[in-house]
Amino acid sequence: MKFILFLIFFISSSIQAASGELSCGSIECDEFSADTTNLSSLQDGLTTYMNYCYGCHSLKYSRYNRISKDLNIPIDMYQENLIFDGSKPGQLMNISMNSKDAVEWIGAKPPDLTLEARIRKPNWIYTYLRKFYPDDSRPYGVNNEVYYNVSMPHVLEDLQANLSETQFNEMIYNLTNFMVYVSDPSANERKRIGVYVLLFLLLFTSFAYLTYREFKKDLK
Amino acid sequence: MAANEKKSIGIMGWVDSRFPVTDLLERHLSKYPAPTNLNFWYLFGFLMIIVLAMQILTGLWLMMNYTNTAEEAFSSVEYIMRDVEYGWLLRYLHAAGASAFFALIYLHMFRGMMYGSYQKPRELIWVAGWFTYVLLCAEGFTGYVLPWGQMSFWAAQVIISLLGSIPMVGEDLATWIRGDYLISGITLSRLFAFHVVLLPIMIIAVVFFHILALHEIGSNNPDGIDIKKHVDKDGVPLDSKPFYPYDITHDIYALGVFLLIFCTVVFFFPEGGGYVLEYVNFEPANPLSTPSHIVPSWYFTPFYAMLRAVDFALFGFTAKFLGFVCMAGGIAIFAALPWLDRSPVKSIRYKGVLSKGFLAAFVISFFVLGYLGAVPPSDVKNLLAKVFTVIYFSYFLLMPIYTRIETCKPVPERAPQH
Amino acid sequence: MVQPSSPPNPGRRKFLTNFTGFLGAIGAFFVAIPFLSAFKPSARAEAAGAPVQVDISSINPGEMMIVEWRGKPVFVVKLESSAVKLISQNLDRLADPEMESPAQPEYAKNEIRSRKEGLAIITGVCTHLGCSPKYYPNAGSTDFDPDWQGGFFCPCHGSKFDLLGRVYAGVPAPTNMEVPPHYFAKDNILIIGSDGVA
Repeated sequence: MKFILFLIFFISSSIQAASGELSCGSIECDEFSADTTNLSSLQDGLTTYMNYCYGCHSLKYSRYNRISKDLNIPIDMYQENLIFDGSKPGQLMNISMNSKDAVEWIGAKPPDLTLEARIRKPNWIYTYLRKFYPDDSRPYGVNNEVYYNVSMPHVLEDLQANLSETQFNEMIYNLTNFMVYVSDPSANERKRIGVYVLLFLLLFTSFAYLTYREFKKDLK
Repeated sequence: MAANEKKSIGIMGWVDSRFPVTDLLERHLSKYPAPTNLNFWYLFGFLMIIVLAMQILTGLWLMMNYTNTAEEAFSSVEYIMRDVEYGWLLRYLHAAGASAFFALIYLHMFRGMMYGSYQKPRELIWVAGWFTYVLLCAEGFTGYVLPWGQMSFWAAQVIISLLGSIPMVGEDLATWIRGDYLISGITLSRLFAFHVVLLPIMIIAVVFFHILALHEIGSNNPDGIDIKKHVDKDGVPLDSKPFYPYDITHDIYALGVFLLIFCTVVFFFPEGGGYVLEYVNFEPANPLSTPSHIVPSWYFTPFYAMLRAVDFALFGFTAKFLGFVCMAGGIAIFAALPWLDRSPVKSIRYKGVLSKGFLAAFVISFFVLGYLGAVPPSDVKNLLAKVFTVIYFSYFLLMPIYTRIETCKPVPERAPQH
Repeated sequence: MVQPSSPPNPGRRKFLTNFTGFLGAIGAFFVAIPFLSAFKPSARAEAAGAPVQVDISSINPGEMMIVEWRGKPVFVVKLESSAVKLISQNLDRLADPEMESPAQPEYAKNEIRSRKEGLAIITGVCTHLGCSPKYYPNAGSTDFDPDWQGGFFCPCHGSKFDLLGRVYAGVPAPTNMEVPPHYFAKDNILIIGSDGVA
């Protein structure tokens, strides 16, 4: 009975925590549902990340070869097309940008994004990347509806101009999906193992229950 | 006595005549006489032993890969999560294990309060259990700091600053605990040493005493009957059953159910909606920027709400210090229960309506305070926190009165047959 | 005290107890797997032990280059043409000239003990107690051998090896020094630590 109370308490408090202010700055976040089993989406997101984000945003807790293995990209192909600074496949994905320079150029140190999808919700990232708007008062001429006065330039501006809205949204979906993957790369394996663990426990608990009931007969 | 003859031969016989292992195991495990009327509330102690073992084991493995310096702590946790094979599992088990431990200990404590297990002659068992809980709070707090994320850092900042509120010596004490003028790698190192050596040793020792004392006195039961009043010719209570096979089969079944819930969290919701692993803690500690909403772990939120509820100075003490006293008092007062309860009966089943009402009010206030401590404060919520803090304490402080004036039902002589 | 009485169906009771115990044992076995696996070299250790690349064009004949791979010295020796003759004359003094013990990859179990003629690639760790032998390339009389044919001599306990790392008979070291996995990415680019693509 108290378990149920407990559950109600948990659920109600998490709902409460979620409500309140708007979830994405000045607007509500758009829906986003990650699918880290969709490898082609992750591969596309990785390509976008390496070409447009990785210049400033490291993934310093991740290793090149881990991503290549998880995303099913042959390491030679990966090394040729996605490692630009001659790093070895086993290295951590640090970038060479000097943080002092960064502060001078952009006004802030671009954060490492390995865990970004765990710090902020994926739907925040998905919305943020699609909500830049022109604003001449800002150094790069853009501002953001989700993150007001953000110091990041709109690096995907050209793409947004050249792609259809559906294509652009899909590209951002894949990019966000990749960031969800890289924030917790063991998630797919974890869920796969989890199914077997629960099935085993169900079997074990059933027999433990039967044994318990068998001995309980003596107490009547 | 064929069984005794068998014991005196072989290797076990040799050992037993020097150190009575078989006798010890029989008295504390296999033949321990547990009351026949124990119910589901008597499962949590066993489950906590399992969780304690799991925490020690996973903790040992995490420690092999963790680095206790401010520079490396955060990345070493990600190293465990990514580079060590099954490191993610060890870390998630350990984090969810901490939450499970607290959930179980709260249920276990509630059982004791409901059935009067703290009453004579079990006062020391209760106080040892309470001390385990205090140690566990310290263990939970120190462990929380180790990943050295934003929440780790600011939780340490807030908790250690609390000590600074103690009149006269506070600031010096806080600096002494930190070993620095701010929370730094020095603080991290000493909290790490407490977390992995000092506190676990103390917890194991106190738990050992708790169980030993219990087995000497015998378990209470849902009816609060003294089963030792009616014994057979060997002096064994009539209303008892041997731990093996009756209780162990029940415990194992409970373990299965517990693991089903626990593994669902570990494998499918390892962050526990932000309650097991806080989202903000995936950002490395930054002494220059406080997260916009900082809360302690869910198991501390009732006491955190009490801390925030006190926003007035009194008798020349600051609100900060009184809040700290209130919070510490909320935890400490459990230890006084055996001496606050003046009821002639143990179990809530036979206590009067006042005891039932106050216990219910206590449970509600615990949950409401737990909720209030987890959400950002507001005026209305602050008022609620004050009201429920008063209710929380009135359960304890009025107990000597209401347990004496109420009428209790007669307690049966023998355990009821189910 | 309630005592286990004789149940209506003792076989059922026995089966349930044993089977639940059996399932518990299986569970314990699976619980052990992550704990044991976590002891394997981590991704960081694997990255640190990744194959190393060496440009061998700068080594002159008769010279040795020492390369570190997985924390051990690897000797890369460019043999002089005269040394090849020395090696073949010396076989009867060796303990295992045919390289029967598995101290080299299959592709290096040949006369030259490597993938390239005139190049010896040897893990520079004495198979006796782990010291690193010294390189004495020149034939002649030495302190430790009046009739030295060139090779490696271990200063710790006096084990002797020929220029290809094969152990002499009658020395403390039991087996030939190991040849690490290696291949050539290009003519002069040696990769140590990987067998390469077959």
